[in-house]
Amino acid sequence: MSPSINDYLNQFEAHRKAIGFISEVLGFDASGLVTFLVFAVASFLVVNVMALVGGLGTYAERKISADIQLRQGPNRVGPYGLLQFLADGVKMLMKEDIFPAQADRTLFNLAPLLALIGVFATLAVLPFSSGFTLTNLNIGVFYLIGVSSLVGVAVFLGGYSANSKWSMLGGMRGASQIISYEVPVTITILSIVLISGGMSFGSFVETQGGFPHQWYILHNPFTFIAFFVFFIGMLAETNRAPFDLPEAESELVSGYHTEYTGMRFGLFALAEYIEVFVLCGVAAAAFLGGYKVPFDLGNGVVFVEKLGLPAIIGKNIGQLLQMGSFLTKTLFLYYVVIWVRWTFPRIRVDQVMTICWKYLTPIALFNLVGITLWVFAFDGQSIWEVLSHLGGGAHGGGH
Amino acid sequence: MFENILFFLSAALCIIGAAGVVFSKNLMHACVLLLASLFGIAGLYAVIGADFLAAAQLVIYAGGVVILMLFAVMLTGGSSDNSNKFGIEKIPAMGSTKTYVIAGFSVLVISFTVLKLMANFMKSYTKGELPAFSSTVEKIGTLLVTDHVLAFEISSILLLGALVGAAVIARPRKG
Repeated sequence: MSPSINDYLNQFEAHRKAIGFISEVLGFDASGLVTFLVFAVASFLVVNVMALVGGLGTYAERKISADIQLRQGPNRVGPYGLLQFLADGVKMLMKEDIFPAQADRTLFNLAPLLALIGVFATLAVLPFSSGFTLTNLNIGVFYLIGVSSLVGVAVFLGGYSANSKWSMLGGMRGASQIISYEVPVTITILSIVLISGGMSFGSFVETQGGFPHQWYILHNPFTFIAFFVFFIGMLAETNRAPFDLPEAESELVSGYHTEYTGMRFGLFALAEYIEVFVLCGVAAAAFLGGYKVPFDLGNGVVFVEKLGLPAIIGKNIGQLLQMGSFLTKTLFLYYVVIWVRWTFPRIRVDQVMTICWKYLTPIALFNLVGITLWVFAFDGQSIWEVLSHLGGGAHGGGH
Repeated sequence: MFENILFFLSAALCIIGAAGVVFSKNLMHACVLLLASLFGIAGLYAVIGADFLAAAQLVIYAGGVVILMLFAVMLTGGSSDNSNKFGIEKIPAMGSTKTYVIAGFSVLVISFTVLKLMANFMKSYTKGELPAFSSTVEKIGTLLVTDHVLAFEISSILLLGALVGAAVIARPRKG
């Protein structure tokens, strides 16, 4: 089995003792039951916190856009309007549930669910910290690409089933955009797989360091380009501006969710905001060092040795620091995504395909070859290590 | 026990999805049910420890094939309307008594042949121990560029052909 949150807990004496105690009380080996409970609680937590992040994402979007456009933004409900998203949620629940008369009811119901299932399934491999990863699958990133493609199916079905021209066009644009941009994004991720030597998020992050010069974005010139290719592809895959063609409100009313009302629309919106968070997390893990904390504070050894704390507390402080590091990077990228949305105009539909197939895909392929050559030529060292060797050579050999 | 539960869930999803594809009269629904069935197959791969294959199944089928099928169905008019403008049913029944008799007979013959062939292994069937899967990715990668390099290269030529063909079909024609 792949390492997971359960293995992290198992290294503590207290956890093993608790399992022993429960086994004694129940009269059978409770380790399986406890594992199940640990995963149930962790999944419950992650899904709920992510739903909260999705909700707060809508708030952040409105507040930041208001800032950019010199407006106030929501400021009535709760302090600084923080509870606005709850009010919106209640509003969505109260709205009338409308089925278009000619709609395909089954698919119409299924589409928002598929979107949400696809996004929530990706959370299983998101590395929040070295201990708090639901499961560190050794094919993690491949799995993530696989299940997140369900969102594409959902967008398409949402567009088709409503039986409206706006929805249909939005759905077609969405599906073609998502499967097109999967190509450069996957190739870019493949180039990171080459450097790190593994497909799991654990191996991505563990081969990087806490400081920016140890991150993959600054590993060599090709990865620097690759990060931007990934980021642009990510915007397109999540249908964010300037790639929000599937829901372009000035042309298609509201695109693939034109006919959706109430909470079904809410599920689509929630799925979109969570997907942005997930993909920002992937970008942070693959290029920005993920949960790594400088000076190896993350593994908590320092707290145990210098401050004399018990191992369990030291380790957990380390985990909290790691989680903070991961969330800071992810939320920074989240901010950039929102910032981009309110700064750039939407591009035309033919430009979307041009950017993908004539620019991003060739650049991604070029990067892949470049990174392969780099890893082969310099034995996987980063540019800083290579430069320091050169400097050392100059000092010794009188270059 | 956990693997048994996973197996039964995946197998049920697989069979129900496949049966739904056959019995569904709406092509769009059939495509979505096919997606469910393919997810079940991915689950089956995961049960036997072939995690890379399971993920590849998701990426290729969920991400690519099903969306392409949905596109194709939609662009060629996947309507749920069964009768044409004269009120005649467009989709004929799956077969007549003759075809059912022939199909049933051939199913019998084929299944008896297969059972006869498999009887040898079935008698001496002992549950084998699965090898320790550290990472199937490494193993598949090594095998692909050593023992099975011919198949690998042939499939890459096939893909290149498809790519060139698509470019030729889609290129703007002058005049």
